Formats: sequence, structure tokens, C-alpha cells
Amino acid sequence: MLQADYFDGRSTRVRVVRLSVDGKDLVIVGDDLDLRIHFADVSVDERLGRAPRRLRFKDGSFCEVRDLNGLDELLSSIGHVDGKVDRMQRQLHIVLLSCLACLVIALVSYEWVLPWAAARGARQLPPAVGKTLTEQALNLLDGKILLPSKLSDKRREELLATYHALRLPEGGSSASDLLFRSSPQLGANAFTLPDGTIVVLDDLVTLIGDDKRILAVLAHELGHAHGRHGLQQLLQSSAVAAFISLYVGDISQLVAAAPAAILQAKYSKDLERQADDYGAALLLHNGMSPLLLADALRDLAKSRPGSRGGGYLASHPSTDERIRHLHILAAQGAT
Amino acid sequence: MATTSAPRPAEQFQFTGTGSEYFGIWIVNGFLTIITLGIYSAWAKVRRLQYFYRHAEVAGSSFDFHGSPKSIFIGRVLALILLIAYNYAVRVRSFATVVILVVIVVVMPWLLRNSFRFRLYNTSWRGTRFHFRGGVAQAYRVFLLNGFLTVVTAYLMAPFMHQRLKAYQHDNSWFGRTQCSFHARVGQFFKVYLVLLAPLAAFGAIVAISGVIGDFRAITQAQQHHGHVNPHLAFKAIFIIYGAMVFLLVVAGPIFHALITNLIWNNTRIGEHRIECNMSALRLLWIGISNLVMVLLTLGLFMPWATVRLARFQLECMRLLPAGDLQEFAAADPEAIGAFGEETATAFDFDISL
Repeated sequence: MLQADYFDGRSTRVRVVRLSVDGKDLVIVGDDLDLRIHFADVSVDERLGRAPRRLRFKDGSFCEVRDLNGLDELLSSIGHVDGKVDRMQRQLHIVLLSCLACLVIALVSYEWVLPWAAARGARQLPPAVGKTLTEQALNLLDGKILLPSKLSDKRREELLATYHALRLPEGGSSASDLLFRSSPQLGANAFTLPDGTIVVLDDLVTLIGDDKRILAVLAHELGHAHGRHGLQQLLQSSAVAAFISLYVGDISQLVAAAPAAILQAKYSKDLERQADDYGAALLLHNGMSPLLLADALRDLAKSRPGSRGGGYLASHPSTDERIRHLHILAAQGAT
Repeated sequence: MATTSAPRPAEQFQFTGTGSEYFGIWIVNGFLTIITLGIYSAWAKVRRLQYFYRHAEVAGSSFDFHGSPKSIFIGRVLALILLIAYNYAVRVRSFATVVILVVIVVVMPWLLRNSFRFRLYNTSWRGTRFHFRGGVAQAYRVFLLNGFLTVVTAYLMAPFMHQRLKAYQHDNSWFGRTQCSFHARVGQFFKVYLVLLAPLAAFGAIVAISGVIGDFRAITQAQQHHGHVNPHLAFKAIFIIYGAMVFLLVVAGPIFHALITNLIWNNTRIGEHRIECNMSALRLLWIGISNLVMVLLTLGLFMPWATVRLARFQLECMRLLPAGDLQEFAAADPEAIGAFGEETATAFDFDISL
């Protein structure tokens, strides 16, 4: 005998009843009730945690049972089998396996699936998207963070000539536009905009001085342009930000920015490594050594003592790591 | 039925679920959602709602959720389409932008009203269902007209809009044949919103005292004269502004939420039965922050415990003050249900909330 609360579905009146099984029938007795219901007409709710479980009847009435183990006994005596997912939710090994599977899937998506999809997506996007984004970025930065270059016209022409003389592996000369700017905030730097336009800052030119080394930096930037890294980065960071804010967004949108930043930093480092590889290959293709890029990186590092890069939040791998890698590439290229 | 005037004991709302039990349900359904590329999420949502409704009790009986995964699935697909259309419209400016935004604005009140109806109709206690009977015309007045007023008055009318929205929801809610009513006045909403002004003033004070404005002036001057910006100065300015914003959201958010929740529930009645809500802003703040820290430290695996903890806290702030016998509620006439088209799970009855 199993105790239950009976509700008729038409009022909130609680009737305390006893349940039992007779053949293929469920028998409900107590509080003016004496019902006999064929079990085929009873639908049984899932067992969710320790919530009272309900046996529903066709007319909208139902029984609510709190003694869950007692109910399991009654149900098995009548031949009822719980649903597959219902059972899975309660089996420890299935729960642990799901947990492991979710973690593995998350890791694989982060490590391989998303970068692969974003790289493909970046190549599929129409060129107009990169153009619009570049115009927007330049409008935002010019006059504020980016100021007109103070290099002499002659110096700029020299650099443009060496840059355009650079032969790309596919043949022809470099396709990306090269812009000169100065920026007190960004200092000695060069970067690539979403449509592949490369911006070189005055401080970088004066700091490195040597044209071949500057060309090595441009080769690295051409790696970003060739791989459409700007768009890939945009797609990746949108996906990561959307996922994180869906996941913990309920708690606080602003604080969700922190884990997103950590997750994106790895992607940024991966793209830098790819650009180094491309730059090194391009230099070799033009009969120059990848070590020129290593030298340029050393020059830049000297100008920023204390900031060797690396670390979880950094956008670039550490300078030492990059130089070591370039030495390996140079050795490979020499053989 | 005996309607005695003797005071009846208050009935405390309770939550009987635990994080470890919910973890199993959460992770298994999460896994099924991933391997079905999100399709199973509708079934997972039904289970989640059933888990939380069935562990929520008052007067010895629990609630129940009856929504079908199919309706949830349709709602999710529609919400996704609207979301994509909205994002596309906002990012790529063209003639289509106007069309898409107008369509969204026009269908939204109707969708939200159907969403309320779906949620309430599929909620029951002791086998008696809730109902939402707000009209469509009223929905347009509440969402469009008041929303418009709020925007043109630079959000000064936000408390008014909020009060109207809650009145629309609660005055049109029924438990079986018993209508609910909402008694909070606009003035009371304004008072709670005033509380938000205090942290805003504190934010202003922090900005003024820390001299961030001076820092920014120094930075812009340095830029204008092509000089060098002191990175420490820039870092300090950003740190203070960002810190103050986090503070505003993390601290002022829960305080406001607690006060407004108390106001709304303390002024809602089910027939003659009253509800008492006594949410502590400090405890809400503590639960929010500690949950966030634990979720981040466990790479997200603490999420089921965090959800259960918050649900327990929110529910256990509430008490039902019965004015009469709780056995006497009657379910709505089947005819009345039919008249409102509630039992038909048509293509337009779904839950739009994700």
C-alpha cells in the first residue's frame, strides 16, 4: 500500500488515498474514492530529483506520490519501465560520461572546430565586408589615435618601393595597400586592417631603421592579410563572446568579458604564429633570411623593456619564443 | 464552506531540489543538446522547468509545468530568426533595416502576450491551471505606447511603464476561476527607482574625487599636442571607470532587483489571498557574486548548483497569506478555456523566452 494525494483536476481539494496493484489495474482507495484504472490508461511522469511524482489519468485527475522508492516498486510490479533519458539522468556512470563528453567537445570546438570554421568563414565573406570594416576602423582611429606620418616623402617612397618589390609566392607584387601613420599611444608598431591594408607607424620605422628588417615586419603583416586574420579574429571573438554571455550572462554581462578575453588571447597568439610562418616563407621566397624578422623583433623588444610578451592575457607569444621559432624556420630554409 | 475570521497560518514557499540531483539532469540533457546540434534543447528546457516547478512547494503541494517540447521548439526557432534579423538589420544599414525593425516592433507585443499565455496556461498547482487573459489591444498599449513614452522622456517614465506592464500581467492572471490583482501604484515604483539614483550619485562622486576627468583632459591634451601619453594615467582612468561600472551593475543591480521584487509580490493578490515577499538585497548580492566566482573557478560545472541556490533563495523569500480555505479553488470552465483558445497548441502558442 502506497500513500498518495489525489486531485480531481477540477479543484484544489487534496484527497489522501492509498494505491495498490491488482493484476493490470491500479487501485485507488480512500477519502470517498474507490477507483480502479487500467494501467494502460495511466501516464507516469519522469522521476526528477526528489520531486513528488505524478500518475496522470485520462480525465485530468492525477495522484501525487512522495514515496518515490515505494512508487518504483509499485511500477515495476505492474511492468512499467521508465523512459531512456529518465533513467540516464539517474545513472552515475552516464552522468560522468556526459560530463566528460561535454568537456571534450568544448575543448575540441575551442581548439580546432571554431578556428577552422572562422578561417573558412573569413575566406567566404565578400570583400566589401572587409572594406567597410576597414573604413569604419580608420574613421574611428584617424585623428585620434592615429596621426599623420611625419616621415619625409622620400623615406616613405623608399619604403613603398622595397615593399612593392616584394614578390609574393603566387607571383606578382604585394597586393595590400601600405599606409603610414604616427601614434604616440601605440608607439613602434605595425598592424593589418580587416581588408588587408597594412598600417606602419613612424616609431617602428625610426626604431628599426634597417630597411630589410622593416620589410621582414611587413612580410609578417602580409601573413595576417593573406590569412584574412582580421575577419577570422572578428568571427572567433563574436562566437566566443556570444557563448560566454549566453552561459554566464544571467549573472553579469560585464564580468563575462573577463573569461572571454582569456579565451580569445590564445586565438590571437595562434594567428601571430601563423603570420610569422608566412612572413618567414615569404622572406625565403625573396632570397632573404627569416632571421631578419627575428632581428626586427629584438629591436622592438629593446624599445619596450619589461614587456617581453607571453602570458595568458597577452595577444602575442613571447618575443623569445618567436625568435627561437624563426631560427628553426631559418635553419629549415637553409637546407 | 466556512469563512472564519480566525487568522490562518502563513504558508511558506519552499524549494526542495538540490544541486547534485539537478546536475545529472543538466549534464545529460546538455550532452543530448550538443550532439543533436541544439534541437534537443527544447526537450531539455521542458525538463528543466519541470524540475524547478515540481520542487517548488507551497501548502504541502508542488507546482507543475505542462508545456510541450514542440511548442518550446517552435518558440526557439522563431526567437532565433528574430534575433538574427535584428542583428542583421542593426549591422548592415539598408532599406531592409527599416522594414525588419518595423516588423519586429509590430509583432513583438503580440508574441509577448502569447508567451505570457503559454507560460501561465502550462503552470498548475494541485492540478488547477493558471491562465493569462490579457487582450491583444492592451498588449499594444502597454508595450508600444508606453515604450514610446519611456524612450521620448529619456527613461524618466520607465517606472510608469514598469508599473503598467506588471499591472497588465498580474491583473490579467487567473488561478483557475480566481482572478489575481495588482495593487502597487506608480508612485511606489518611482520610489524604488530613486534608489538607483544613489549609486549613480556615488559613481559621480568617485569620478569627481579620483580626478578621472582631469586625467582624461591630460590624455586628450597630450594627443592634441602630439605628446606622449602617460600609460599609467590612461590605465588608472580606465580602471576607475570600468571598476565603477562593474560596481554599479553588481551592487546596484541586486539591490534594485530585491526592492522591486518585494514591491511587486507584496502587492499581488490571488482572489483575497495575499503574498508576502521579503527578499534581502544583501543576500541576493552575496549569492550572485559567490555563484559567479564558483562558476568561473569550476569552468562552468558549478552552474546547476548556482541555479538551484538562486531558485531556493528566491522562492523561500515568499509566503502565501491565505484569506480562506486553499482547498476551495476551482479550475476554470472548459468553455472559458476554449473561448480564450488556450488549450489549442496552435503554431502561435509558444514560449518566446530562451
